[in-house]
Amino acid sequence: MGFRSFLHRITAPSPSGEPLNGPCKMVCVVNQGLKMGKGKIAAQVGHGAVMATMEAGAKKPMNLEQWLATGQKKVCLKGRDAEHLLELEKQAKAAGVLTTLVHDAGHTQIPSGSLTVLALGPEMEAALEEITGELKLL
Amino acid sequence: MVLIARHDLKMSAGKLAVQCSHAAVSCTMNARKTNPRLVERWRNAGARKICLRVDDLASLQRLAGQAQTAGLVTYLVKDAGHTEVPPGTVTVLGIGPAPRRAIDALVSELKPY
Repeated sequence: MGFRSFLHRITAPSPSGEPLNGPCKMVCVVNQGLKMGKGKIAAQVGHGAVMATMEAGAKKPMNLEQWLATGQKKVCLKGRDAEHLLELEKQAKAAGVLTTLVHDAGHTQIPSGSLTVLALGPEMEAALEEITGELKLL
Repeated sequence: MVLIARHDLKMSAGKLAVQCSHAAVSCTMNARKTNPRLVERWRNAGARKICLRVDDLASLQRLAGQAQTAGLVTYLVKDAGHTEVPPGTVTVLGIGPAPRRAIDALVSELKPY
C-alpha cells in the first residue's frame, strides 16, 4: 500500500456513517385507495419491510443494526391513495430517509402494477415523525 | 415464503401486517446466513409471500415443528404486547424462503388469511 492510500485510509470518513443514538423504527404506509384484504395487506407490507431492510443493509447499515438490535419496531399507517404515497416519498427523500415503493404483481385482488405500500426507514423516530406524524394507524 | 397467522387473536389489519413483516424480515435475515443463494433466487423471482391462517396456537407450533424437521427456515413471532394482545403472545409463523414444493407439502390445507 502506498503512503497516500494509507493516509486516505486512516483519515477517510467511515462508509457506514454516524452511529445513531435513540430509537429507530420503520413505517409502512398502506394505500387505502385499493380494496385489499387483510392477508393481502400483510403480504404487501412484508414485501416492503424486507425490501427496505435489504436497502438499508446496502446504504445505511448503522440504521439497520440499530433497528434490529432494538426489536425492529414497525408501524403501519393509512395513506389515502397512490398520489399521497408518492408525495410522502418525495418528502422522505428530501429528508434523507430511505424509501421503498411496493408495486403489486397483480396475481390476486387488484390490477397489476398498483402501488400498494410505501416503506420508510429504518430511521430515527423523530425524523419519521415529521413526515408521517399526521397519518392514522391502520 | 409463507406467513401463517393466528386467526383466533382477531388482530387488526395493521397489527397483522406488522407481525407478518416481523416474520418476513427475520426469516430473510436468518436464511441469508444459512442459504444466501436461495434468498437471492427468491428475491429475483419476486420474493413471493403468501399470508395464511390457522385457528390456534397449537396448530402454529405443530407446523413450526414440521417445517423445522423438513429443514426449512422458520421464525415464530412473539409480540412485545404494546398493543392489542398480551406480551409474549405468539402471533405469526414465517416459513421460508424455500422451494415451493417443500412449503406446499406442509401448508396446502391452510386457508388464505
